[in-house]
Amino acid sequence: MTADASTPDTPAISGAATVAVVDYGLANIQSVVNALECFTPNIRVAASGDELDGADKIILPGVGHFDEGMRGLRARGHDRALDRLVREMHVPLLGICLGFQFLFEGSDEGAERGLGWVEGQIKRIPSAPGVKIPHIGWSELDCPRPSRLFAELLPPIEVYFVHSFCAPNTGEAGRIATAVCDYGIPFVAALERGNLFAAQFHPEKSQLVGMKLFETFVSL
Amino acid sequence: MPKHRLIATLLIDGGNVVQTRFFKRTNVVGSAFTAVDFFNGWTVDEIVVLEISKDTSGLGRMETIVQELSRRCFVPLSVGGKIRDVDLAHKYLRIGADKIVVNTGAVDRPRLITEIAERYGRQCVIVSIDGRPDSSLPSGYRVVVDNARRDTPLDVVEWAHSAIEHGAGELMLNSTTHDGNKKGYDLALIKKVSDIVSVPVIAMGGVGQLSHFIDGIMKGGADAVAAGNIFHYFEHSTKKAKEAMAQAGLPVRSIGFYKINMPRRPKYRAF
Repeated sequence: MTADASTPDTPAISGAATVAVVDYGLANIQSVVNALECFTPNIRVAASGDELDGADKIILPGVGHFDEGMRGLRARGHDRALDRLVREMHVPLLGICLGFQFLFEGSDEGAERGLGWVEGQIKRIPSAPGVKIPHIGWSELDCPRPSRLFAELLPPIEVYFVHSFCAPNTGEAGRIATAVCDYGIPFVAALERGNLFAAQFHPEKSQLVGMKLFETFVSL
Repeated sequence: MPKHRLIATLLIDGGNVVQTRFFKRTNVVGSAFTAVDFFNGWTVDEIVVLEISKDTSGLGRMETIVQELSRRCFVPLSVGGKIRDVDLAHKYLRIGADKIVVNTGAVDRPRLITEIAERYGRQCVIVSIDGRPDSSLPSGYRVVVDNARRDTPLDVVEWAHSAIEHGAGELMLNSTTHDGNKKGYDLALIKKVSDIVSVPVIAMGGVGQLSHFIDGIMKGGADAVAAGNIFHYFEHSTKKAKEAMAQAGLPVRSIGFYKINMPRRPKYRAF
């Protein structure tokens, strides 16, 4: 079933970009839809991989456990659909939080394999004096290289994080990182590679900075 | 390290935003939607909405309010009031809340904290604790519930530890002698708890001037500072609070401004 997020006062309009939000049964999809609603009338909450077809942009949101999330993606056929649409047909994808972590080979949080599009493993944030786990709150980003998604933003860029696991700023993740944050260790806060965009933070909860990112992504 | 947060608290009674003094309602200050629109525009870092009606008849209306607020709230939204089971928590989270605030429900049945934390993660659970000065207890504060109408046998510090063991991700502290009195937070209470716990502490209750926010962090040791009443009457009060905190040397989120084209920013649906 395609759940159309548009309300009676915002009917779907042909011609405007269609953004599909991947529903795998966990994430707080409503917050992402609320933010997207400001930019496009054509939002599709895709409950299965088939419903991703025809989308101009795809958002892979995230809140939840890595294993449960990956199992949800596979059970609903999202993994195969994403592989075809994002890897072969180059549809722009924005992964958020757990949706950022799915792009890697795996996570210390669980045993399931990730999508494996980015080399490396998601690690637990090392605990240290003064470093509370999970990392919750507004933290500042350091942007080591130019980014299409961040093109309109000016420092200081402060965004909202909620996570216990992270991608250390090393290996391929470090090479394609467009934003890095320091929380006891430096970790990758955002990455970009071709049509692949991902953020460890929550743009849908990062007020104007986040809304600017959605505006930029929708109009890419 | 994350910035110190400035949190706006909205108390909802029968669908309206109200003010309280010593946990008793004083006056109605208007619509929750107008308040959130202002806070959104004024760089507040988080919004807490609590349902404080005397009975449960307002809960249906509260759901509608949360749903509509979340459509325009692009900072974390925490929701509480009369949450006694995981079902109501689930309902609020599904319609757009990011965190759940529990108080009386958690004191009466501490498992409630665990049930929400196991399902949604501990970052999702704020345990709100109201203290009344009581020299017969080790910390000097007794836990009170039901909007300070009912005493419990619990010591505030002891309950804070227990709440964290049960899965609390954050603690929010208010005091019966400071709520709404405009004299500042109960710094002794906040310091007692913040000194010994590992989770973020939110100071609440009593802010009457901007310097009270700074005291809450510097003297009370709180990670985040919350207020309700003060924000309703001072224009640009959240912005001024941020500026005062930054001037005092506290790391806070900056007041950025971006022109964003939101052609389809939704109007509230009538209800």
